[in-house]
Amino acid sequence: MQTKDQNSALRNLSALVDFSNVINSSLDIQFAFNNLLLTCLGKFHATRGCILIRGVDNLLNVSSSKGLTQESLNSFPVVKFSDYGSNKEFQAFLKKNRLALTQKIISSDGEIGLLILGERIDGSNYSDDDINFLKTILNIAATAIENARSVEKLKLLNRELDGKVNQLRSLFDLSKEFSGILEKDMIGKLLVFSIIGQLMVSKYAVVICDDVKLEFLENKFQHEKLEPALKDCMPAELKQVLQTDQIINKYSKLFELGVSLIIPMQIKGSTKGLILLGERRSGLKYSETDIEFISSVGSLAIISIENANLFQEAIEKQKLEKDLELARNIQQNLLPNKIPQMKNFEIANINKSAKQVGGDYYDLIKLDENRLLFAIADVSGKGVQAALLMANLQAFLQAVVKQNFPLAEATNLINDLVSGNTTMGSFITFFWGIIDDSNNVLTFVNAGHNPPLLIRKGEITKLKKGGMILGVMETVIPYESETVKLQKDDLLILFTDGITEAMNKNLEEYTDERLEELVKNLEPISAQNTLDEIIDDVNNFTGGAEQSDDITCLVIKNC
Amino acid sequence: MADFNVNVRGVGSVSVIDVKGYLDAHTAPQLENAFNQLIDGSKYKVVVNFNDLSYISSAGLGVFMAYVETMRENKGDIKFSNMQDGVYNIFDLLGFPMLYEFYKNENEAIEKFKESISK
Repeated sequence: MQTKDQNSALRNLSALVDFSNVINSSLDIQFAFNNLLLTCLGKFHATRGCILIRGVDNLLNVSSSKGLTQESLNSFPVVKFSDYGSNKEFQAFLKKNRLALTQKIISSDGEIGLLILGERIDGSNYSDDDINFLKTILNIAATAIENARSVEKLKLLNRELDGKVNQLRSLFDLSKEFSGILEKDMIGKLLVFSIIGQLMVSKYAVVICDDVKLEFLENKFQHEKLEPALKDCMPAELKQVLQTDQIINKYSKLFELGVSLIIPMQIKGSTKGLILLGERRSGLKYSETDIEFISSVGSLAIISIENANLFQEAIEKQKLEKDLELARNIQQNLLPNKIPQMKNFEIANINKSAKQVGGDYYDLIKLDENRLLFAIADVSGKGVQAALLMANLQAFLQAVVKQNFPLAEATNLINDLVSGNTTMGSFITFFWGIIDDSNNVLTFVNAGHNPPLLIRKGEITKLKKGGMILGVMETVIPYESETVKLQKDDLLILFTDGITEAMNKNLEEYTDERLEELVKNLEPISAQNTLDEIIDDVNNFTGGAEQSDDITCLVIKNC
Repeated sequence: MADFNVNVRGVGSVSVIDVKGYLDAHTAPQLENAFNQLIDGSKYKVVVNFNDLSYISSAGLGVFMAYVETMRENKGDIKFSNMQDGVYNIFDLLGFPMLYEFYKNENEAIEKFKESISK
């Protein structure tokens, strides 16, 4: 009897050693489960058994089973590890499947789960010895299971790490690529390729937005519905990542279209675009890491897109500047390139454009041996529009002058021509006159221009006679001319409001009064001298502040 | 910049795309062109042979995501074959085996298309 016990103990011991060797030989957890079950079934002559492992949610899951039908397994109830003993459904499951013995699997880290064995084939009950033996087996198995689980965790961690490395590689890849691309479409394309490849997404859109418009770089959602739905939610106001829950709550229209993640693309905190994504094809949710990844590539992309835009603008600006430069040259050619010589008159002038093309105009045309026509004008507005109108005026003037009409009548004609050729709101202040070497007579017409100053012995006469500004309406009231007999040392000063409205840094204007005060007291040395004095005084006043208006000044001195 | 090459050939009703070298953000548009041409020619049964592909980035994977639906909507598919382990690992890591079929060699993939036709 004693020998039989000894034999049995010896057999048990060697079985334990064998079991320990086998179960620790692999780090595959399924292998461990399988071995544990088979060993138990063999040892106790049971025909069925299963291993239930407690998950993170504390629920028991069937991790391995023998001798149980799929149908039985499918009927395994939801049961918490903590109350398996009292759970009726669970107990019913055990009974139905004739599972007789339940033992906890306990490792150094705590309770891992349960081993459950069926009735023994000979119908006998499990003895205390059996249960003690089973406990020993489970102790050995628990360590092996724990080891295998650690390895699984490590593998998982490793895979996560691989995923991170992969995302970083994608980011690096993209940043390298984006820096070389200046086409928005291409940037958008690479952006989505990287995102959908990384996260397995098949519905997506990339939208560039500002306060007024949306530009779709990519869109696989229903376009005709997405655009209005997106406009409703004021994309430029979206500052935060929106996940599915928030989209359902706030932007149900977008959710209905399949949008389940919205990530803003920002530059310095302001939203310049959005990435919209549908669900992941893997069924997985977007993790925090995924969202970080999308935000990162989004930032890279939006900066590149902004660069592309700036580059495009720079090119266009360059082109415009070139055009303006050309226009400036043309305009300069419209102005007289040299001052005609007169016997009794000295003439000096200056013309400075504030912009590349300006609206100031002056002209000096020798009519015959004795007579010189001079004109000064300021076209309303600035830039190209003013320059074009000025070119028109110059053409009209050259044409009308050739007709040899009296000055007042010629002015009627010019006004009709200008009125017929200007759009609403454009007009020209205009003054012109003729000086005659043979009799020192000045004839002039003033069409709304700042009255030129006639200075005689410190006295100022303003030359106002004429009529309406050019271009407001066709001539109804004919223009009138005036004739003045000039004396030696008389000074005629013609200017545009660029002089009298020149501004200093305190935004104060130079004013007519200051000009009059200055010229009244000037010695009539020469026309050039008078002009220099005026310009110097204006420059002193403005102190180098940048001027917004053209400056034109013409000085005629009777010698 | 690393080289990438894409070549399309027809094997019966199936189109085989041979990809070679590095498929990344820089070279992805070339592969995209190949797919666009196939779609223009109404060829929706595609096997991509990765035999000579040594690297693929997310942007490269994205091209397959961008076209697979069109192919499937037109009773075709994109199937993969001859993938080196390193390249497969990236596909695997990002979960592609769930959505795409991978084959050891090109013929298996082509056969699979034929099977589905005869069914």
